[in-house]
Amino acid sequence: MSVGVTDDMSIFSLVAGASLPVQFVLAVLIITSLFSWWYIFIKVAAIKRAETNADDFENAFWTGGDLNKLFEGLTAGRRKPQGMASIFEAGFKEYARHKQQGRSEISDVMEGSRRAMRAAYNRELDDLDAHLPFLASVGSVSPYIGLFGTVWGIMNAFRGLSNVAQATLSQVAPGIAEALVATAIGLFAAIPAVIAYNRFASSVDRLSVRYESFMEEFTNILQRKS
Amino acid sequence: MRHKRENTDSFKAGMLSIGVHAVLLIALLISFNWKTTHPINIAEVELWDSLLNTAVQKPLPTPEPVVVKEEPKPLPKVEEKPKEEVKQEPKVDIALEKKKKALELKKEDDKVKAEQALAQKKKLLALQEETRQDDLRDKEKLLKESKAKAQKDALQALQQSISADEKTSSNQQAIGAKSAANAGVIGEFQNKIRTKIRGNVNKSLCGDGNPELKFDIGLLPTGQLSGSPKLIKSSGNSACDEAVERAIMASEPLPLPSDSSLFSQFRNLKLTFRPNDGS
Repeated sequence: MSVGVTDDMSIFSLVAGASLPVQFVLAVLIITSLFSWWYIFIKVAAIKRAETNADDFENAFWTGGDLNKLFEGLTAGRRKPQGMASIFEAGFKEYARHKQQGRSEISDVMEGSRRAMRAAYNRELDDLDAHLPFLASVGSVSPYIGLFGTVWGIMNAFRGLSNVAQATLSQVAPGIAEALVATAIGLFAAIPAVIAYNRFASSVDRLSVRYESFMEEFTNILQRKS
Repeated sequence: MRHKRENTDSFKAGMLSIGVHAVLLIALLISFNWKTTHPINIAEVELWDSLLNTAVQKPLPTPEPVVVKEEPKPLPKVEEKPKEEVKQEPKVDIALEKKKKALELKKEDDKVKAEQALAQKKKLLALQEETRQDDLRDKEKLLKESKAKAQKDALQALQQSISADEKTSSNQQAIGAKSAANAGVIGEFQNKIRTKIRGNVNKSLCGDGNPELKFDIGLLPTGQLSGSPKLIKSSGNSACDEAVERAIMASEPLPLPSDSSLFSQFRNLKLTFRPNDGS
């Protein structure tokens, strides 16, 4: 008898044999896991691109040369500038406009370009931060969802045991095993999400520090120019 | 533009995430396949366990019949009945034989007496004159003959008694030994069945006392149950009755003697069962 029960213990039979709430929890967790991995891969690509863009732009910016040419090169391209380039573009555009009007004081010009750069910086950071709250909530909540499924499954298993009234392991084991699948999938969704969230958060922090320091330096350069 | 690139990115990322989950699923399947072989090992361990039990119980065939006799249970009574009948039959035979032999002896005695009487008459007729001497001789002869007769009788009686003793003792020994051996084997396997069932009973359901249950168990020659066990005598506690019934079902196949001639004793086994009996 026990052999017959344990023979059936493939993952499919466990999932199919689970009660409806447990199956619902499993479905939610699997979808969550899929989305979190999807966002993880998107984020990996986006942050990598942002870092290489920042490296490229810093190289181009600090090799000297005309800022006007750099600005024209950025705006002439078909691509909308990204990351540090977009901050530079916003700041320089605002500065150029003030210059063309030629009627404002230096402090106003600097203030305006600074505000424009701050706005571009915020937009960039918002882009970088996209999906990170989702990963954070997956990392913190999905273990609880899995735990809920497990508790529910174990409740069912023990309720079945009370009907049988003779405690053998083979009567509880399948219920507990299928209940534990929920916790396993919850942890599987949570662990990569937490790791990715921490890594992405630190990467975004480092990028934001780079952007901010660039903003300060560029403000200084603009102030010297004017 | 950025939107377009993100679309390609997200497509790639979606593929990758599905790939990751596929890898996980394969890993899970492999691990579960590996685990499905595990329970078979456990089953083998159980088989070893039962083998060990028989090995342990086999060296003790002689004390177990004594144990069976100590338990006043219905089956041993049923088995003892044929024994008594067997014992009575040879006694009847012996009595008949004794009577026959006694009759024969009487006949022989009569013949001898008639011959003696004839001889005496002849002698009396022939030797009427020689009264004293003849009388003396006759007396001596009679004495001798009577002595011989007594000896003969004694010998025959001895022989009779010896042969009767031999017959009864041999019969009794043979039948007694066979039935005793059978009873021993039956008792041994009943005990095996009881111990196997007792191992599966949830004893906490039967309380602290020593309840006694009787079950009518139909068995197949393979040790499988031919039907669900019927409760003949309840312990008074329905939970206990159910626990024992489940235990009987769980302990399939029940141990049966390899001698198929003894199976008739197990086909409709009336098993008295004490779940709390520690022995």
